Amino acid sequence: MNPFKKKNHYELLELSPDASSIEIRRAYKNAFELYKDESIASYSFFSPEERKEIISHLEEAYLTLINPESRAEYDKKLIENGTVVEGTQYRQKAKDPISIYDIRKTHSDMLGPRKRPEVLKVLASQNLLIQEIMTKDTMTGADLHAIRTELGISLEKIADETNIRLAVLRAIEEDNFDILPPMVYLKGFLKSYARYLQVDEHIIINGYIKRIAK
Amino acid sequence: MSHIWPIGGGKGGTGKSFLTGNLGILLAKHGYRTLLVDIDFGTANLHTVLGISHPDKSISDFVNKKVGALEETVVSTTIPNLYFISSAMNNLDIANLAHEQKMKLLRSITKLSYDYILLDLGAGTSFNTIDFFMISNSGILVTTSEPTSIENIYRLIRSVYIRKIRQELKVHNFRFLAEEAQRRDSRATENNPDFLLYIMKEIDPERGKILELSLRDFIFKLVLNQLRKEDDPNIGSLICKIIERHLALKMQFIGNISFDDHVHNSICKKMPFLHIYPYTQAASDIRRCYENIVSFKETSSFAHGDID
Repeated sequence: MNPFKKKNHYELLELSPDASSIEIRRAYKNAFELYKDESIASYSFFSPEERKEIISHLEEAYLTLINPESRAEYDKKLIENGTVVEGTQYRQKAKDPISIYDIRKTHSDMLGPRKRPEVLKVLASQNLLIQEIMTKDTMTGADLHAIRTELGISLEKIADETNIRLAVLRAIEEDNFDILPPMVYLKGFLKSYARYLQVDEHIIINGYIKRIAK
Repeated sequence: MSHIWPIGGGKGGTGKSFLTGNLGILLAKHGYRTLLVDIDFGTANLHTVLGISHPDKSISDFVNKKVGALEETVVSTTIPNLYFISSAMNNLDIANLAHEQKMKLLRSITKLSYDYILLDLGAGTSFNTIDFFMISNSGILVTTSEPTSIENIYRLIRSVYIRKIRQELKVHNFRFLAEEAQRRDSRATENNPDFLLYIMKEIDPERGKILELSLRDFIFKLVLNQLRKEDDPNIGSLICKIIERHLALKMQFIGNISFDDHVHNSICKKMPFLHIYPYTQAASDIRRCYENIVSFKETSSFAHGDID
């Protein structure tokens, strides 16, 4: 290891060559605390001259590294004499802004991970009970309920993902025609419902509307 | 072979005997056959910390050849697995141990067969103290957070550093290299041992390499004792940092032990602290230090085979 007197600026401040300016400031502050005259931890370890010398080294290191221009120049020197490998030195990185707010009030994560649509499609096409229901001419709420439970999806999950009120979804599955929304809305809801479950939306909508008409 | 932990620190009153006694108790409690040796010949205290007022044998029986083997001066304690060699009843002149006697004692200690041997060293940086401190590579240093104590730690470490260099180089080689180094760079003095070593290495790379390796074998440990609430709890690790950076020695910070008036009470009562105040802050600090030291345990804490 280099003795202390031969350390380069980065080694002196215990920084890696890609340290940011905040890190440089912090490192300088910590080092100064350790080597300043009043420091208890280094008491008596250095003579006053040595202490002065170390502090002036620290200052020089700090002032060189904190200024982007002098730092780039210093880095170039270190790269030339082989101390630092080209490409590992600090570069200002532009970062995308990170959004602080999440406008959704509820997080679907709380209701379990979302099943991927492709997976659902395969599941639905391989399930005999679902295939049987899909061949029916009319669709009852109980049929929809059966398809959904076969796929293992909760009503809350659908409500969360489709933004349809839970009460409306429940009314659809329970054939509670009194509180169902007007037809034009109902069609839209059934479409979202069917799409979420990855089953044919036309069969679902037509079958269910036929059933109401009866 | 036994693990040997010399416990020193330069300044008196920092808690060397206190730590030795209580670490010994913990080792014994964990089932290790443990021997405590009071090396503080002139001003022995360890027996009092352990609660043994009048041990019937002492280390001077061996030094004065009253008994043939060091093993015969061992007394057992009330704690199972814990054994003790006292300096309590030493003759008054034993504080000035002659070189021959010291070497004989060092050899005899390394030949004892226990799981752990803890040496309670005296204050000061005399050759006697330093040679016992260098009996193994894993000396434990005790300091308080006061500058007086910290400066003595640095003093002790530098003495060990220079003594190691002197031991490795034979006398005339050392003088030659040291003079040559100082001629090349006036800063390369014994007070600046890492720089001295650096210049020596430039003059004689082969010897320099050997020196560097032998110094790298040391793994010192530091305990910061009597830490008060208003003190900076990082002082211990900062001291270790200074030593690692400027002397290139390995130094591990083991932990802080809080200042606690119960320690004073236990000593006045002449009872082992951990036995009468096991639930105090200082007691749990000691237990944590114990865990840290034992987990840092490495093969290097075995004694050197080359003491002659």
